[in-house]
Amino acid sequence: MGECAIDVKNVSIYYRILNGTSVRKSVWEKKQRNLMHKAIKGLSFSVNSGEVLGIVGKNGSGKSTLLRSIAGIFAPNEGVIDLHGHTVSLMALGIGFIDRLSGRENIVLSGMLLGFTEQEVEDKVQEIIDFSELGEFIDRPVATYSSGMYSKLAFAITAMLETDIMLVDEVLSVGDSRFQQKSFTKMRDLIMDVNTTVLIVSHSMETLKELCDRILWIHDGAMQEIGETELVLQHYAEFMNC
Amino acid sequence: MFILLGTAATLLPPLIAWGEHIYLKHGEVSGKKRIFYFLFYFVFLHTFILGMAFCQGVRGLTIRTMTIDYEIKHLGAGLVCAFIAPFFYCFIFETDILAAGVKGYGRRVLVDIWKYRQYVVRSARAHLREEVANSYLDWLWWVIEPLCMMMIYTLVFGFLFGSAEPNFAIFVFIGLTMWTFFSRNVSYGVTTILANRSIVTRVYLPKYMLLISQMLLNGFKMLISFGIVFFMMLLFRVPMTCHIVWVIPLIFELFLFTFAVGTILMHFGVYVSDLSYIIGIVLNMLMYLSGVFYSMERFPEPFDVLLGKFNPLAFLMNSTRDALLYGSMPEWSVYFSWLCVSTVMACIGLYTIYYNENAYAKIS
Repeated sequence: MGECAIDVKNVSIYYRILNGTSVRKSVWEKKQRNLMHKAIKGLSFSVNSGEVLGIVGKNGSGKSTLLRSIAGIFAPNEGVIDLHGHTVSLMALGIGFIDRLSGRENIVLSGMLLGFTEQEVEDKVQEIIDFSELGEFIDRPVATYSSGMYSKLAFAITAMLETDIMLVDEVLSVGDSRFQQKSFTKMRDLIMDVNTTVLIVSHSMETLKELCDRILWIHDGAMQEIGETELVLQHYAEFMNC
Repeated sequence: MFILLGTAATLLPPLIAWGEHIYLKHGEVSGKKRIFYFLFYFVFLHTFILGMAFCQGVRGLTIRTMTIDYEIKHLGAGLVCAFIAPFFYCFIFETDILAAGVKGYGRRVLVDIWKYRQYVVRSARAHLREEVANSYLDWLWWVIEPLCMMMIYTLVFGFLFGSAEPNFAIFVFIGLTMWTFFSRNVSYGVTTILANRSIVTRVYLPKYMLLISQMLLNGFKMLISFGIVFFMMLLFRVPMTCHIVWVIPLIFELFLFTFAVGTILMHFGVYVSDLSYIIGIVLNMLMYLSGVFYSMERFPEPFDVLLGKFNPLAFLMNSTRDALLYGSMPEWSVYFSWLCVSTVMACIGLYTIYYNENAYAKIS
């Protein structure tokens, strides 16, 4: 504790509302309106190393956008996100799989995109396959998987390839009840690890109460409140009920 | 024809340089400056080219007395200079944009390529294996497919249309191999980002890595095809000369040019949804203008030289055939001109992709 893992300073993220144009459209409608949607407006906070921060907010308040930006998928339009050189992985529903390739190839490729070397991933492949309970399906194309298998594999990859910072976006409720139990236990082990910093986005109050040290409440892209778990969750619940 | 070429030689180079300059400055140029830049490039380019001609001993230049060959040279030199000049201009006078940009992005490209090298190779290998995973003949398809294509085209163009280049089968096969590499990568490039949306929106990677991976895949297939070419040359007893080594720089240029075109189209493919249709048509047209199945000499007078030099694919194919079959060197002036142009285009493509990469990830 004490050492800073994530610094988010004055971050704003915009989405330009732009649907794919066609040649016809760009010729006839010369000036297209440049609409900007502000997903995150001037957010600042910092997370200490080993801390578990829960993020709450109603749908569309910018939680996922924030996580994707911390994961480095896109840079913020304004402000700085400083990870102090830590490795980071985002655990979200439907991690980027290539449908035509087999589960095994996808494990290796996604692992490498998370910043591990080919060898490091190869060493972990068996562990990941065992955890994901896919059995013989692992050598079939991902396109043939059921949605449950898909998300189980995604969870297994990010859970077994441990990075310094883990961003968890509503994935604690995938699979059947047995897998849920297993993933919850695995998650708790990771969270207990003092070296792993975790950001969790969830709508489940019980999960957050059990796992988090602090809660950040985002409302319409701006910070509403940050602080003790009990307190913030209570305020949030009151806000949502009225 | 004279007038057309003359006008093109006068107007095209400054127009290209002007457009490129404005693109490099993100289009933030006022109206007055725009006129200034156009005039600047007009004067500069023509002084430069005429000066070059003067140094080579050309005196008393009039449009009337020019030969077509000379006009083509004039136009070619103008276009190449036009493509490179704005880069140097910005490099020297707009240090904040270009010198810093080249330094920063150049370093980033090297770092990224080193960092993602394993991914690129692994991804190409996985896709290659996947392509043949469920077929009976397995990897034999990589040999059978191009061979069958070659046979079809040899039959149709050799017997039906009576093309009679010596070693016609190999002649077609070389053209076909190089053309397939180019067209597959380019048409893949247009759809890359949208087709790989599941990766692009979920994890960071420099987007052109996807294109490089695809190019490795197609490059591997091209390698097999060239292996077959070599085998066929032994079979048909084509005399081997030391000029075979020129194939290596020629293939390198093919890679560079394909990469440049691919990256640029990759960017526009995201925003212009009907681009893939347009590219399909353009590629088809280009195929017939590149002489995949026939020698360029079949085009009427000025066009054979014009296309042979100004169409990089025709140039590369012809040079490769020359090197392999007829034992002669490529035309180095054309080679280096296209090398410069491809490099500048690749820089522009890479820069465009890095500059817009946030936008790609947000399209969902």
